[in-house]
Amino acid sequence: MPDLKPWLALIFRRRGRLVNGALLLLGTLLSGIGLLALSGWFLTETALVGLLLAAGVQASINLYVPGGGIRFFAVSRTVFRYLERVYNHNTVLQLLTDIRVAYFDQLAARTGSERRARTGAQWLSRLTADVDALDTLYLRLIAPASLAALVTLVLAGLVWLLLSGPIALVVAALLGFAFVLSSWLVYQRTRQSSGQLNDRQENLRSELVEHLEGFAELTAANRTGKTTARLMRRSIELARSQARIDTRTGWHQAGAQLLINLAAVLSLWLGFYLFEQGVVTGPVLVLVPIALLGLAEVYAMLPEAFGKLGATRAAARRLSTDSRAVAETTGTSRLRSEPLTGGLRAQDITVGHPGQAPLLTHFSLELDAGNTVGIVGVSGSGKSTLADTLAGMIPPMAGHVDSEAVAYLTQSTMIFEDTVRANLLLANPGADDGALWRVLELVELAERLAQRPEGLDTWLGSAGSRLSGGEARRLALARVLLSPAPVVILDEPFTGVDSATRERVSPALSRWLEGRTVVCLGHGPEALLASDRVLHL
Amino acid sequence: MSASAGPKVKDWLSGLARDSQKWIRATVAAGMIAGLATIAQMVLLAWVVHEGVIEKTPVAELVPAFLTLLAVLVIRAAGQGLQTRFAARCSEQVRRGARRQLHRHWQALGPVRLADTSSASLAREWLDHTEALHGYFARYLPQMLLAVIIPLVILILVFWLDWLAGIFLVLSAPLIPLFMALVGMGAEKLNQQHFETVSRLSGQFLDKVRGLTTLQLFGQTQAASRTLAVRSDQYRQITMKTLKVAFLSSAVLEFFASVAIAVLAIYIGFGLLGYIQFGPSTELTLFSGLLILLLAPEFFQPLRTLSQHYHDRAAALGAGAEILARLAQPVPNGDRPEPSVANSSRDIRFNGVTVAYDDAPVLFEGLDLRLSAGEVTALTGPSGGGKSTLLHLLAGFVQPTAGSIDVLGQPPGTDAFGWLGQKGFWVQGSWAENLRLTTPDATDIAIESALRQVGLGELLDSREDGIHSLIAEDGQGLSGGQARRLSLARIFLADYPLILLDEPTAGLDATSEILVLDALHKLSAAGKTIIFSTHHQALLAIADRVLIVDSGEVRDA
Repeated sequence: MPDLKPWLALIFRRRGRLVNGALLLLGTLLSGIGLLALSGWFLTETALVGLLLAAGVQASINLYVPGGGIRFFAVSRTVFRYLERVYNHNTVLQLLTDIRVAYFDQLAARTGSERRARTGAQWLSRLTADVDALDTLYLRLIAPASLAALVTLVLAGLVWLLLSGPIALVVAALLGFAFVLSSWLVYQRTRQSSGQLNDRQENLRSELVEHLEGFAELTAANRTGKTTARLMRRSIELARSQARIDTRTGWHQAGAQLLINLAAVLSLWLGFYLFEQGVVTGPVLVLVPIALLGLAEVYAMLPEAFGKLGATRAAARRLSTDSRAVAETTGTSRLRSEPLTGGLRAQDITVGHPGQAPLLTHFSLELDAGNTVGIVGVSGSGKSTLADTLAGMIPPMAGHVDSEAVAYLTQSTMIFEDTVRANLLLANPGADDGALWRVLELVELAERLAQRPEGLDTWLGSAGSRLSGGEARRLALARVLLSPAPVVILDEPFTGVDSATRERVSPALSRWLEGRTVVCLGHGPEALLASDRVLHL
Repeated sequence: MSASAGPKVKDWLSGLARDSQKWIRATVAAGMIAGLATIAQMVLLAWVVHEGVIEKTPVAELVPAFLTLLAVLVIRAAGQGLQTRFAARCSEQVRRGARRQLHRHWQALGPVRLADTSSASLAREWLDHTEALHGYFARYLPQMLLAVIIPLVILILVFWLDWLAGIFLVLSAPLIPLFMALVGMGAEKLNQQHFETVSRLSGQFLDKVRGLTTLQLFGQTQAASRTLAVRSDQYRQITMKTLKVAFLSSAVLEFFASVAIAVLAIYIGFGLLGYIQFGPSTELTLFSGLLILLLAPEFFQPLRTLSQHYHDRAAALGAGAEILARLAQPVPNGDRPEPSVANSSRDIRFNGVTVAYDDAPVLFEGLDLRLSAGEVTALTGPSGGGKSTLLHLLAGFVQPTAGSIDVLGQPPGTDAFGWLGQKGFWVQGSWAENLRLTTPDATDIAIESALRQVGLGELLDSREDGIHSLIAEDGQGLSGGQARRLSLARIFLADYPLILLDEPTAGLDATSEILVLDALHKLSAAGKTIIFSTHHQALLAIADRVLIVDSGEVRDA
């Protein structure tokens, strides 16, 4: 399973925890089987001794050992079960962290324009559903399957020891078939539809969203009935496919249980011949089938997990596709030849996104250290793509960009769900509180934050929701200002900032940036900082 | 979920259950067959053991019993298989029903009210929330009944075998509701905790991924990755504290089941030895003793299964509450007033129309208005003055609170008409498919000519397969102006007598603006009745009549 391989490798890094968890699970299973089997043995033994005693025959029975055993198993089953659940859920949560961090690191190796191809909703489902499918891989699939195999072997060995080789073979054959039925066969029979479920559901979702967005037009044309009917048909097909998976899983489960019961009954039936020959005692004869019946619990979880394996593999494939794309693109690192003296130079560059028509051609810019240039362009003129290119986020389609380290304020404002301090320190992890307050002062946020009891530790909610748009923009600006980089690129620095504030902040900003090389882009001259020259796109 | 919403959701769920009663009954019946076959299996097993071991019956004489046993095993498996099959069918039916209800509700709400909620949330309700009903109907609901019936049958059997052993089980029976509550509380907490953790973690994670570009720019991805790991681990520790408590409740269930088996085994053993000299104990045989032992786990099994399915209930109640909230959204009065007079004239009339929204001031009061067919009418005036409402009334998307409207001799929305909203609309697919959405039987030639009418010909020529090429072939799709022109092309193609347009040129680039104006000219020349709202001077110029709509008043300019 090549799709699962990298993720399995990640999971198996916690080998110690996996083994401990499996041992606890094994303890639970064996306690359950032991409790019933020993009880069965004990009852038969007491029944036989009871008959002898009733007939007046001298007979003795050791009540202490089996009684103690039964009590032990009753307690150990509970204790093991509890410990196993706590321990293994802890493991799953650790795996969740491992997988997320690993996935994040893979994404971090990619450039922004590659990630842009996916919508927020797709990310969300990757990050939750797909990762979840992998973090429970161990608990749902690996551990139960390997333990079922192990317990099956133990029981087959027990039959060999207590009854006979041929009976053990019959039992092993039946149980082996049950194992294949509830793992490999379920997987084979559901693989395709299970693997397609997610894609089909996402297709249906986008069709549904289209239907809703065109609802007015379709209503006007009296056509909502048709598209509704189509959507219903699609959803019915999807539900039917899910039902088919469920049903197949159910039948395989029933089949596996049937085989386990068969093994129990046949071991009793065949055991009776040995009993008649006096080879085995009654209590042992009863112990074996009862122990085999206990296997039902061990196998119960398997078919469902294997029925979902197709979907799990599809999830792994989706996540792996993202990481494969990384491998292809990390080779094209951004151009940064011999360092300039604090300036920025673009020579005859063509700007655009790969695979699409270029937005700007033959663009050149020579900027000496300490100079400020303004670039004006209406939306759609390729302004932001140019900024991305100058900042080295995307490579130019042709030509060269040479620059020192750049601090870049992107057009979209990104504030993290974290403290003000953490948001600012991103730009300069070594900055002290004084420096932070100074840049906040500069963008006129210091006063507002100083009023908060937490000050720099004020928590910014989801997507910076506790700040207004203008405040968020100014905070992002402050972050860029904090960066020690000699070149600063500002794309629409004052989006959402009211004009009065802008007029106060702008000159202060120019003073702060004195001596640095600045490229400021905006939709009009009023959106720029005071510049040495202004280019129009 | 508020306390008052709970019972309503349960009512709604049972309403859905009523529609699928057949499948629920079948599921329970199959589960009963499997349960009863299990009991029969245990009876036969215990009997065979007793006959063979105690009565020393030769194996040859036990063959019929063994064969019966095998038959019972097959019946049990068939019952199990059928149970999942019927359960799957039931859930399928329920989800279909819920989705139909939502569709009907959307239809009743109309495009205007529906637009208040984002398409993504509506899609989530329709797809994911109905999906969450699956476990409740496929697993929880049938198991609820089985968890009562099967233990009861076993209890009766055990009482008949040995009433003292029965009392052991009965002693735990009053504890069953207690168990259920305990387990339920635990499961609910667990479920809730799990969801909270996952969503909090996902939030953090998504936030970091969203901001990856920023992190990359500052060279902070590694630090972010470390933070992610640390935070994730903190949440793990918090969650584990809760889980340790939550798992206790299921451990209690496990403990009682284990202890009941142990106590029964030891009681029966001592009874068989003759150490217990009162009650029914003296009558215990290996058959009755073994059978009681074999049935004891089966007594608790349905309950354990139920506790495993308990989170299905929580999920369904949560999802149900949201679906119900949507369905409870008030629908504008559905009874459309009939045209006041037998109106054979082919014009548009507002007869004393009043529009008042629930908690907003009255928009129109007793509005009388007459527009001639075949004319181009422009509606202008300040935003919020009621231009859009007037268009929505004409479209039948909004019903008047009082009065009536006749549109070309019919109530609004009776006949198909052209509608162009502020956003054009296109679906993933070819140009032809997009145009056939509203006119399914259009010819290829008609489609191509309609696209050329709105200036999309050039774009079409650049594509290899013409109208059969995919719109988003270059991965980009259409710009706002192009999308709106595509919608206009649909109107050209369909040849509607009435065309309503809401700010047709707002926010368009210069090229698209000219093309839209041009298209409106052509439509007007073809004798269509055109009504649009606009602020745009060039558009006002092409109108035969300009109406100023301001705070409920409509007057000629």
